[in-house]
Amino acid sequence: MNTDGLDLAILGPAFLAGLLVLSTHVPLGRQVLRRGIIFIDLAIAQIAGLGVLVAHAMSWEENALTMQITAFSAALLGALALYQCERRWPEILEAVIGTSFILAASAAILILANNPHGGEHLKDLLVGQVLWVDRDQLVPVAMLYALILSAWFGFGASHRTLLFYILFALAITASVQLVGVYLVFASLIIPALSVRRSGRYALFAAYLLGIASYAVGLTVSALLDLPAGAVIVWVLALFGVATSQLIARFTAVPAAVGEGAH
Amino acid sequence: MTQYLLSVLFVLLLLPLNAAADLRVFSCEPEWGALVTELAGDHARVFTATTAQQDPHYIQARPSLIARMRRADLVVCTGAELEIGWLPVLMARGGNPGVKPGTDGYFEAAAFVPMLEVPQRLDRAEGDVHPNGNPHIQLDPRNIARIAPALSERLAKIDPENAADYRKRLEDFSQRWQSALQRWDTEAASLKGMPIVVHHKSWAYLNQWLGLKEIGTLEPKPGVPPSSSHLAELLETLKATPAKAVIRAPYQDPRASEWLSKQVPGLVMIEMPFTVGGNAQATDLFGLFDSSIALLKGAQP
Repeated sequence: MNTDGLDLAILGPAFLAGLLVLSTHVPLGRQVLRRGIIFIDLAIAQIAGLGVLVAHAMSWEENALTMQITAFSAALLGALALYQCERRWPEILEAVIGTSFILAASAAILILANNPHGGEHLKDLLVGQVLWVDRDQLVPVAMLYALILSAWFGFGASHRTLLFYILFALAITASVQLVGVYLVFASLIIPALSVRRSGRYALFAAYLLGIASYAVGLTVSALLDLPAGAVIVWVLALFGVATSQLIARFTAVPAAVGEGAH
Repeated sequence: MTQYLLSVLFVLLLLPLNAAADLRVFSCEPEWGALVTELAGDHARVFTATTAQQDPHYIQARPSLIARMRRADLVVCTGAELEIGWLPVLMARGGNPGVKPGTDGYFEAAAFVPMLEVPQRLDRAEGDVHPNGNPHIQLDPRNIARIAPALSERLAKIDPENAADYRKRLEDFSQRWQSALQRWDTEAASLKGMPIVVHHKSWAYLNQWLGLKEIGTLEPKPGVPPSSSHLAELLETLKATPAKAVIRAPYQDPRASEWLSKQVPGLVMIEMPFTVGGNAQATDLFGLFDSSIALLKGAQP
């Protein structure tokens, strides 16, 4: 065991990044689950990465801002294409999402064949590492997420399909760069999955589950000195199973009592 | 598990004692950790960020990396952009002004050796180009001999109390290293001109030292699978000039060399140690070169 890493200066920014990611991903994830489009985050993230690679291949001027603009534009284009697909062929949407993921990933390999330097940028985009986040990176993401959340809860985006796709693309493109694809997927799906039967308090329970998992995951990763992102994913999964068991028990008991009374 | 917990407990018990060591050294790669241990002995507590099983270009963020960086008195790395993917961000997160590049707390080994494969002109289209040359400098023991005095001097500068001891240790190490160099030169004489294929261009310094002849590369660009025309070309080259062995580092995927050794009968596949800790024999810098030479000689008829 190693107590060196138990330092708020080390774990603090990572935990803040986690809170930010959870703030948008928990409600988005419930919608993703409802629509049955589980792999849309992988597809959107990969398309955002592809956008950056294309920008490099065209040797457009490169700096952090242009890189972000290309990433967000590519993600938005991808999201609009998937939205069109949902409208026209809803029954095959998940298959199209899976296919667009591997198409974007393979296109990246083809572009990289002539420009391996782009690979570093692709890695930067897809493999964000939660421990290496610093506070300066959190500020623009916090502003973006404040906008997304007010659009989400203010305009009822869960009922407006186009708005959902746009907000989703924006949220994912920012979060993969902070915490990486695995944590983004886990933060979206696991809380939503665990609380799907808990009715009124679902959103609250999902937030609580996510926050507890990031806190415990970061602590465990510091104590055992293991890569933080992967540990948080596993803690999320374990806590998720426990939560859904708890919810099942609490919602099942009154029903059983009710049946017994008859 | 019990054993693991016991050893963890044991380490925790030792920590307060070790805290008496004067210098906390953060080493990016195992070879520099080993060199610091040779030159500083008990005066330094060395933490090594990567193992021989890891590609030093990439690294996963662990809490201890940041913690060690925060408390380090000296950071010893290869430089030449080898760690560009993670060291700058780790330094930013570590927030330790004493070890920033340019200060005495940061030692860049590549600054003290003649670099190979420095590009004549910088062009992104050239692909995987390190503008400062090939960074895998540890594989020429003459480079170790060049770096050791500079590193010893730096240790003395940041820990002047023990300066005399560092000087004595350097003398002792240099003597042992010089006699080892002579021994290796005799042992490896027969390797001169030996034709080899490499997995990736990480062996330039070993090739130069031993006079190995690099005939081809399996994976010209890291992370990008070779094209079929590249492989066909490689097989064609090997028909004209047969190679004795295909060599790779422990962290490189064996599948490519396995494929090649099946295509070319008689080609020996060698997993070289590449750095300290890369195999059971390479426990220190001496073992690294002993084992490398022995493995290469094993491929000779």
